[in-house]
Formats: sequence, structure tokens, C-alpha cells
Amino acid sequence: MKWLPEKKAFDEAFEGGGTARSHYRPLVSILESFTQSEIERRERLQKLSLMDQGITFTVYGEKEGTERIFPFDFVPRVIPAREWERLQAGLIQRVTALNLFILDVYQGQKCLKDRLIPPELVFSRKEYKRELLNVIPPRQIFTHVVGTDIIRNHAGEYLVLEDNCRCPSGVSYVLENRNTLNRVFPEFFKYYPVRPIKDYPTLLLETLLHAAPRLSEKPVVVILTPGMANSAYFEHSFLAREMGVVLVEGRDLIVEDNYVLMRTTQGKQKVDVIYRRIDDDFLDPLVFRRDSLLGVPGLLNVYREGNVALANAPGAGVADDKSVYAFMPALIKYYLGQDALLPQVQTYLGARPQDFSYIQEHARELVIKTTGDSGGYGMLMGPFAAKKEIEAYVAQMKKNPGNYIAQPLIELSAHPTYVDGKFEPRRVDLRPFILYGESVRVLPGGLTRVALRAGSYVVNSSQGGGSKDTWVLAAKDA
Amino acid sequence: MLSRVADSLYWMGRYLERAENLTRLLLVTEDFSTETQGLAEDLAQTAWKDMLSIFPSAQLTREVTRFAPMSVPYLHTFFIDQANPYSIHFSMRKARENARSVREALTLEVFLALNETFRALETYEKRGMLDLPAFRDALTATHKGIFTVVGAIEHTSTRDEGWRFLKLGESLERSYRSALVLRTKLPALLAAEARGDAPLYYTQWRTLLRSLSSLENYRRVYGARLEPSLVIGFLLFDAHSPRSLRYGASVVREYLATISGPEELTAPARVIGKLHADLRYDDEAQMRRGDFAGVLDHVVAELAKTHDAIATQYFVT
Repeated sequence: MKWLPEKKAFDEAFEGGGTARSHYRPLVSILESFTQSEIERRERLQKLSLMDQGITFTVYGEKEGTERIFPFDFVPRVIPAREWERLQAGLIQRVTALNLFILDVYQGQKCLKDRLIPPELVFSRKEYKRELLNVIPPRQIFTHVVGTDIIRNHAGEYLVLEDNCRCPSGVSYVLENRNTLNRVFPEFFKYYPVRPIKDYPTLLLETLLHAAPRLSEKPVVVILTPGMANSAYFEHSFLAREMGVVLVEGRDLIVEDNYVLMRTTQGKQKVDVIYRRIDDDFLDPLVFRRDSLLGVPGLLNVYREGNVALANAPGAGVADDKSVYAFMPALIKYYLGQDALLPQVQTYLGARPQDFSYIQEHARELVIKTTGDSGGYGMLMGPFAAKKEIEAYVAQMKKNPGNYIAQPLIELSAHPTYVDGKFEPRRVDLRPFILYGESVRVLPGGLTRVALRAGSYVVNSSQGGGSKDTWVLAAKDA
Repeated sequence: MLSRVADSLYWMGRYLERAENLTRLLLVTEDFSTETQGLAEDLAQTAWKDMLSIFPSAQLTREVTRFAPMSVPYLHTFFIDQANPYSIHFSMRKARENARSVREALTLEVFLALNETFRALETYEKRGMLDLPAFRDALTATHKGIFTVVGAIEHTSTRDEGWRFLKLGESLERSYRSALVLRTKLPALLAAEARGDAPLYYTQWRTLLRSLSSLENYRRVYGARLEPSLVIGFLLFDAHSPRSLRYGASVVREYLATISGPEELTAPARVIGKLHADLRYDDEAQMRRGDFAGVLDHVVAELAKTHDAIATQYFVT
């Protein structure tokens, strides 16, 4: 079995000289003990099991059968206990600050008055919901579920790439990847103290119950999905099943006398907490997008009255904006009086004139992104783009500089990945999931996404990415 | 439970049952047509054409060509063709879509079995069917697949409201389709008595019983003797046969009662209750009268009414 180490970037599994890092050594030996045909047999088993279980995601705009399996690579990513402890502390700190920032934006706006962030930068975001000024959710929690994307640079340093404070998805794959690996390569687990993650649904339910308008009653929790055609539908239904709660669509809910009710065979029943997996804009056609058929007319009014809780709270998206990101280290300092534990990527703001001219001059070296988009859409990778492409993009940028940010290209770390019968390095990132209930908790694991094409930096499932099981190891003396 | 979920489970039950009926009818009709085509081609042809009355709005999607076996267009239309809303493939697709839209209400085992069976159907359509034995093979495998789904439901589902709606859909589809089979085939069979071609005549009665998976059950009660009046009595009024109309009506009635609770008399419960009483208490008079076409028209109409009443009562809130 040949291993090809990464040359340009940090290799998760191998040191410069090609020897395995200590926490990858057992794994490498086990894999080397398999013959090629054994590995292929296991791989076939694994693909079959994913398809039969219908663990799929939906690809938009594709004609041939819209369901596809999310490619799974069986070489797990291993994170040692000490690295995880640092990551975890940094994430807890970050999510705490994010939540305080959102609270401030919707009540008081102290950070804007103190000019920590230019107010117009916040007010111009479409994620900022003026309608929700002074509407504060129960226990002042806006961000019940956050998925923060982490990358590692050439030195192996963990950096925050972005925060997802709206409806981060992918946790079902975290759980299913573990299941699959347990089944297909049980041998792996003998040599590693891998921390379990299967109680995520329980933790999530606790988090959602804690969000209820009134804690004393026995709150009814539901998940609101846009429906079967949504790319994350599998996850919505998976979580409903795992938590034992009802999965509703907008048409199942109705607002009456300032309460949200669901239509059941026994009449209408009150709903207390909605874990909504649809964007703010589609929640309530009376307040946001009028053409939305996914939402519930009148829902926002019930939320304002405090008769229903929404997780995450509407308006929370203001915090995961790509330009607000640039201010995160300052915001952490401002709200918590601490330095940020996790570094992040240097960011140039199109909204700042001096930054904007820098972006224009150095477009060839930068990754330029629009602030509103996600999933790798609307992005320019300067170092890989043709001259004409860059010129066109820059021309577009000039029309609305505030909509853009730029960052230096980070050489994402690479991880051995089984591709066409060989172990080759492929670029990865990491999305841990953070729950904000009675306390802030981080699931020990996360979604490691991998760019399956050689040399590619794009890990998004919509653009040919796959995923890996992610192991957080227990501390030896624990 | 959510009305939408109840609706989906009800239809999942209906489509699964419909797919099973289709599979069985295709297998039985193919047997019959192979057996009789040399002797009496018109009978074989009629048997295939009956499919279009049992599934009333279906249309052949392949032409009947001169030299190909006459069953091929029918097998193609009712087995693998997705364009026909009464094909097995279509029904299983719908069953799966309904299951997928309420996946959280089903067990993993049920979903797995359904997924596997459906994926095999997709492969059949992609690959195409080489010849009649290939059709038969694939149909047999599909039949087993459907039974695996039904078995998984039986073995792993909690008997909650969702399960009751699924079974309600299944039992209504079963009764309704059985009534349509009888309404299509029985009058012609009774008229054919005069023809007097004994071996062929009994083959038809035997085929009718097999079409409603009742041949063995009938034999258990009456032995190998095929007496038309006994067969009719058995298929319409038997108290224990899962596909007799009387038994079917009683099952629909029971599921409705467990859903509403025994105290409450809902609109669908009234319709099915009356139909059940007709079949349960009026059997002797109806056998004497011998107007089976009239009886079957009545059963089909009342079952359709029951379905409408269920939809109004539970799904449109």
C-alpha cells in the first residue's frame, strides 16, 4: 500500500519526512495490513449500505435522479485530545461572543454606537432584520446551533474560516459516517479511544427544550423543513426521527389567536419550539418574502409575542456575515474582555476604501467572496483564475464594493484519502457543531469535508466534495 | 398526528398494496395466457384486456405487435413503465415518495426494504426485459421484495396512529381492487357457462381465485371441487379469507374504529359500516338473487365513497 504525502500544504497524517504522525501510526499500520482487494470489497460494502439506507442529498438542477449519496471516504481524520481542547475552548468563546453581538445588535446597539463596527455595515446586510429590533428570544439565546468552519494553514494552525449562525447542516452525516465506519472497518476502533458522538440528538433536544418560551410546561418541539425537494431533507427527517419529534412543513402549521398550531388528525395542536431549517426570508410571507410558500403566515407575530420559540432565532444571520467576520477578534475582546483563542483568516473589506484598492491591485493573489453567498457560490479564486475572468469580476465588484471581502489563499491542510485504488492527499476542512442551551457545548467530532479532485480547494458537497469520519480522541489520563 | 403524515402513510399503504395486486395479477394472467393462447386465443386476450378495467384509467403504453407475444405490451405497461400511473414501478415510486416524505414516521427496516425493492425496479426499467422468462423472473423478485416491505412493517412498526393509517390505506386498496377484479371478470365468466368447454372453464375459475390469492384458501374450505356458486360465495362473503369482500369491509371498519376510538361514529365509519352489514347479514339473499353485477357495482361505489369520507375527515383539516 503506497501513501503519497502532501508537498504544498500541511499533511494531517504525515510529517515532512514521510513518517506517520504518532496519532496516525496505528491507522496507517492497519490499512497497510489490508490487501488491495480487501479494501475494495469493504468500499463496495460501504457504498451499497449508503444507497440502501437512502443517505442521500439532493442536487439542484440535475436531471438524472436528484438524489445522490454524499461520497464518504473511509480514512478517518484523527484529532488528538489536546488539539481538540484548544479548539473547543476557542469555539465556546466565539459562539458566546457571537450571541452577545446579536443581542447587542437587536437591543441597545452599543457596539455600533461605540463605532466598533461601522453601523452601515450592519444595517445594509439583508440578514439584519429591522423588524426584530428589541425582540429578544427566551433566555437571550439567538444561536442555538452553530456550525463553524475551521481550516488549517501550512503550519498546521487551526483557523476559523466562517461561522454559520442560521441553519448549519451536515450533522446527520457526522453521525452516519461514524455508523458506516463502525460497520465497514470495525478494526480501526480497537486502537483508538474515539469519543462518542451518537448522543447529539439528545443534546440537541435538550437545547431546543431550553429554548422554549415557558420552561415549566412540557414544550412541544417540531422541526420545520422546506420539504422533500430540499438538499438537506435527509438530515431534517433524520433528526426528527432521532429526537422523536414531529417533522412539519409550512402547510402543516397555522397561526390562530397568536399561537402556532399544527394540523393533526385529532384537530389542531399547539407548538412551542420550532427548530426551523428554512431561512429567515421564507419563514413568514406576511413579514419577509411574500412569495414564500414554505413558511407560515403570521408566524413572526407569534414569535414577537413570545408564544413560540424559533431556533435559531430570526435575525441571527447578521453575525455570520462575511464582513462582520472581519471584526470578530475585536468583538470577542469587546464583549468578553479576552483575546480570541482561535485565530482567523486575514480579511480585507470591500467596504473600506483602502482595503478595496488593495483588493483590486492584488486580485490575482486573493480569494474574493460576495458577503451574501455561501456554498462556494459567487467566489473568485484569484490565483487560479484567467486574467479576463479577474477583470470581469473586478468590474462587477466596483458596482457594489461593500458586497465583497477578500482573503489570502490559505493552503488548506491535506489528508490521506482513498482515490482510485491509492491513498492520496486531498484538501480538507472541519465543521464542528456547537449547541447553545443551558451552557455552550461542542460535539466532540464534526464534519470533515474533503475535496475529492486532486489539487482542488473546494470541499462543498454541491461541488464534488465528500466527507470523512472525524475522531476526537479522549485524553489518555481521563 | 399530522394530517399530512397520516395522508402520506395512508397512500403509502394503498400504493404498496396496489403494487402487490399488480404483481400478482400479472403473474397469474401470464400463466393463464401461456396456458390457453393455443387453445382459445380470445380468452387469453380478454384476460389481458381486463387489466384495463381493473385499473380503469390505465392505457397501454406499448403497441400490440403481430409477432411478439401478446402479453409483452401489457407486462411492459403494467410492470416497468413509469408513464403508466398503474404500473408496479409507478406505484412503488409513489409508495417510496410517500415514505420519504414521512421517513421519520417509519422504521429503518421498512425504509431499507422499500428502497431496495424500488431500486431493483429502476434497474429493470433501465436494462429492459429480454423475454418472457426475464419478465417472470423480475416479477417474482419484485413480489418477494414487496412482501419483505410488508413483513418489515408487520415486524418493526409500533401500532400507533401512523401504522393504523397505513393499514387503513392497505385494506381499502385491497377491498377496492378485489371488487374491481370481480366486477370485471365475474359477469363474463358466468355468461361463459354455456360454452361447455369444461377444462378451460375450470381453468378460468381457478385463475379467478388465484388472481385474488384465494385458490389455496378456497381449497382448504371446499376441497378441490370448483363449484361456481361456492367460489362466488367464498370471494364475496367468506368470514376469514383476507380477500373476501366481507372480510375486507370488516377490516376497513375496524381500522377506522381504532383511529376514531370506538365511541365516535365518523362519516367514513358510517359508510363502511353499512356496506359491511350488507355483506355480513344479507349474503344469503344476495346469493339467491344472483345479481352479482349489481352487488359489485354497489361495493365499488361504497368503497370509493369511504375513501372520500376518510380524506375529508382526516386529511383536509
